[in-house]
Amino acid sequence: MGEVIRRIDKPLQVNPFRLSQPMGAALAFLGIDGCMPLMHGGMGCTSFTKVFLTRHFCEPIAIQTTAVTDVTAVLDGGDGSIVEAVKNITAKVTPSLIGLHSTGLTETKGDDLRGIASQIDYPMVYVHSPDYEGGLESGWGKTTCALIEQLVAPCQQGRRNKVVLLPHVSLTPIEVEKLKEFIAGFGFEVQALPDLSTSLDGHLGEKQSALSSGGITVEAIRELADAGLILSVGDSMRLSAEALLKKNATLCHRHFPHLQGLEATDQLAACLLEFSHRELPPAGVIRWRKRLQDTLLDCHFALGQTRVLLVGEPDFLSGAAQLLREAGSQIRLVLSSVDSPQLDRLTADTVLVGDLEEAEKRQQDFDLVVGNFHTEALARRFGKGLVLRGFPNWEVVGNQLRNDQLYEGGSAFLCEVANAAERSRHGH
Amino acid sequence: MAPKPKIRELLQESACSHNKSRSGACNAPKPGATTGGCAFEGAQITLFPFADAAHLVHGPITCLGASWETRLTGTSWPGRDLTQMGFTTGISTNDVVFGGEEKLRSAIDHIVHHYAPEAVFVYSTCVTAMIGDDIDSVCRKATEAHGLPVVPVHAPGFVGSKNLGSRLAGEAVLSQLIGTREPEKQTPFDINLIGEYNVTGDMWQYTPLLEELGIRLLSTLSGDGRVASIRTAHRARLNVLVCAKSLVSLPRQMQERYGIPFISVSFYGKRDTSASILAIAEALGDAELVQRARALIAREETLLEQKLEPYRKIFQGKKAVLNTGGNKSWSIASALQDLGLEVVATSVKKATEEDRYKARQYLGEQGVLMTEPGQEQARIIDQTGADLLLAGGRSLFTAIKKRIAFVDVNQEKKKSYGAYLGLLNLAEDLNNALHNPVFKNVARRAPWEK
Repeated sequence: MGEVIRRIDKPLQVNPFRLSQPMGAALAFLGIDGCMPLMHGGMGCTSFTKVFLTRHFCEPIAIQTTAVTDVTAVLDGGDGSIVEAVKNITAKVTPSLIGLHSTGLTETKGDDLRGIASQIDYPMVYVHSPDYEGGLESGWGKTTCALIEQLVAPCQQGRRNKVVLLPHVSLTPIEVEKLKEFIAGFGFEVQALPDLSTSLDGHLGEKQSALSSGGITVEAIRELADAGLILSVGDSMRLSAEALLKKNATLCHRHFPHLQGLEATDQLAACLLEFSHRELPPAGVIRWRKRLQDTLLDCHFALGQTRVLLVGEPDFLSGAAQLLREAGSQIRLVLSSVDSPQLDRLTADTVLVGDLEEAEKRQQDFDLVVGNFHTEALARRFGKGLVLRGFPNWEVVGNQLRNDQLYEGGSAFLCEVANAAERSRHGH
Repeated sequence: MAPKPKIRELLQESACSHNKSRSGACNAPKPGATTGGCAFEGAQITLFPFADAAHLVHGPITCLGASWETRLTGTSWPGRDLTQMGFTTGISTNDVVFGGEEKLRSAIDHIVHHYAPEAVFVYSTCVTAMIGDDIDSVCRKATEAHGLPVVPVHAPGFVGSKNLGSRLAGEAVLSQLIGTREPEKQTPFDINLIGEYNVTGDMWQYTPLLEELGIRLLSTLSGDGRVASIRTAHRARLNVLVCAKSLVSLPRQMQERYGIPFISVSFYGKRDTSASILAIAEALGDAELVQRARALIAREETLLEQKLEPYRKIFQGKKAVLNTGGNKSWSIASALQDLGLEVVATSVKKATEEDRYKARQYLGEQGVLMTEPGQEQARIIDQTGADLLLAGGRSLFTAIKKRIAFVDVNQEKKKSYGAYLGLLNLAEDLNNALHNPVFKNVARRAPWEK
């Protein structure tokens, strides 16, 4: 275990990769079928978020703004612009839910979202998500929490074969689908909250929808407490699991910091065997475990000599670091967007909450970067290998189809990193 | 905060054609029914291309976190390209409570110390405007301490649209930079390019031609721009406003203050490029220059025609529907016509009065000006038998349903369609789209669909 630096004494961020809490909130609402995320702030907050996500997913993104101006920022307590926004949205479309989330601007003026939401006669969930605190993960986590607290019906007993999956924000749509299928393979009925696997998975729809097209339905959310087991993935989802437990005390809860690599997947499989009372997982799972074992061995030579920089959100970092460590990669530096309990668990020489300027300063410590679009310039500048992961990933298509989880995705990820490491060693 | 009278003045820009016919054209956005960027984004678009200056965003992480390294504005600046870097104070709860001025001051010091920029632009944002940080004072002191311009840009997002932000950025440049230095030399053919951001190297498609004529770019706002040059912009003989209406206030004010005339041009398509080069030469008022310009235009057009020859046969008789916004509603139409396509309809939903007028000029009486393109375009494709739809990604499904070729008009953000050579890029992309079977393949019915 190396050192963990939680705070750098610096008055600014240079080449930042931290993303905003309202963006995480908006993304969570996009995992709900027929939802209209409504960001309470200036129109720019929404516009930047919309363009950002559109470019990342190569999909149109449904989102609206309360379009707070300098005048309404002073004269309106928020109710005026929110009520008008709801009126204007519902004049054109009929969302199953309006996902109201705040920004730094409206939190600074101190709008009472709860009070306003209670006055509006339309299905609505509100969440406080100022962008001067937290980040993408916390915005997503807080929203999941709010959805549970404000929508889920309390329940005294549950169905033993129903599982609620709470995935962290860095899991791609296909990864969420793979987790659902893995769990379903043990005989469970699975609901994921939020569920991007059927909304932002990049499917060709019949028609351009102004709302999120796909995801968990509001009806299914209301009935979430009627389950037997909660599986939370990523530390940012712990609070959501606790919120759901409050709706039904008979629920069992298992937490996984991540689901990458042999060990973590083994733990999930063991858990599912226990709850399903089965002796063996499906044949495909057994086969993929063998393939991952083989991949670990095939990749260990390339990865064992590779010094890695990991950049991203804490829940992502935890999984990627573990998987790469299993094949012997030297995790020299981990840059995290925000603080998290995950950082103490990472096996790395240095873990740092910071910006990409810190990576530049330490560029002699690593050969290969795993990080988002903004790390590309860094890798090019210093001639490092590069594997693109995380938000945003603008210049690459297929982000939503990529799977690094469990036995199967782990094999693919290790091969990709090993190949990138070899290529960069040979100067390509 | 930006002073109110100034904002009102900018909103009622007299040189803006739509302000003559309608009042309140740039009015407040409608909650729940608004798309489009804020004033801060407009300021960023206008000033970020100065690659020799650092751009420090004083606000929470959203403002810069989602927006840096997003625009491919080329630069020939030999130092580190600061346009493609992100600097933000990334203010936290603590700063909201206690104020962010001290943090801002230290952040400027950090940047000057580590990156030695030619200037620092400091952008206020909604939150820092709300908490009342005195950015002007911090910038003034930093200017004195470091001996380089530290320019406050007061365009917090909530004061208005992208357009207004561009104007506010123009104001900052006019009040803080222009006229603060004298050029080393002057020529009778010195011009400023205003509103050209050199996205995908657009301006490099035509600036070599201007230089060949002996026209000198004294400064640009801000494509491939330099802080040192923009400070001398008051000595230009002519301001050339490129496509961007948003900055029209600046040349108008420079005309009043420094007596510099201005013209508005476009470098999309052959006809517009030629007309623009000639207009610049004529505005500079030198008969010989005009003659040289005519010769150069003739040469370039002949050269282009030769290169376009193979495409002409392909595009002959092909009909296109264009669904895009602003000046693109006519400028791309003009480029398409130059390639020999017939433009049967164009969207004027987001266009100004002047844009609509020009669109009508280019399309003629037969052409359809669509005000609700989302609803109209499918029907128009049927009626006209169009072969090609040029639009944003949202319209892709219309093309698939109608089984015609599709070109994403936003491709131009990756590849230059500007001037003569850009037209060749456009021709190549259109040709590829027309021959790409993907739109028909995707439209195949699944075996289980009836």
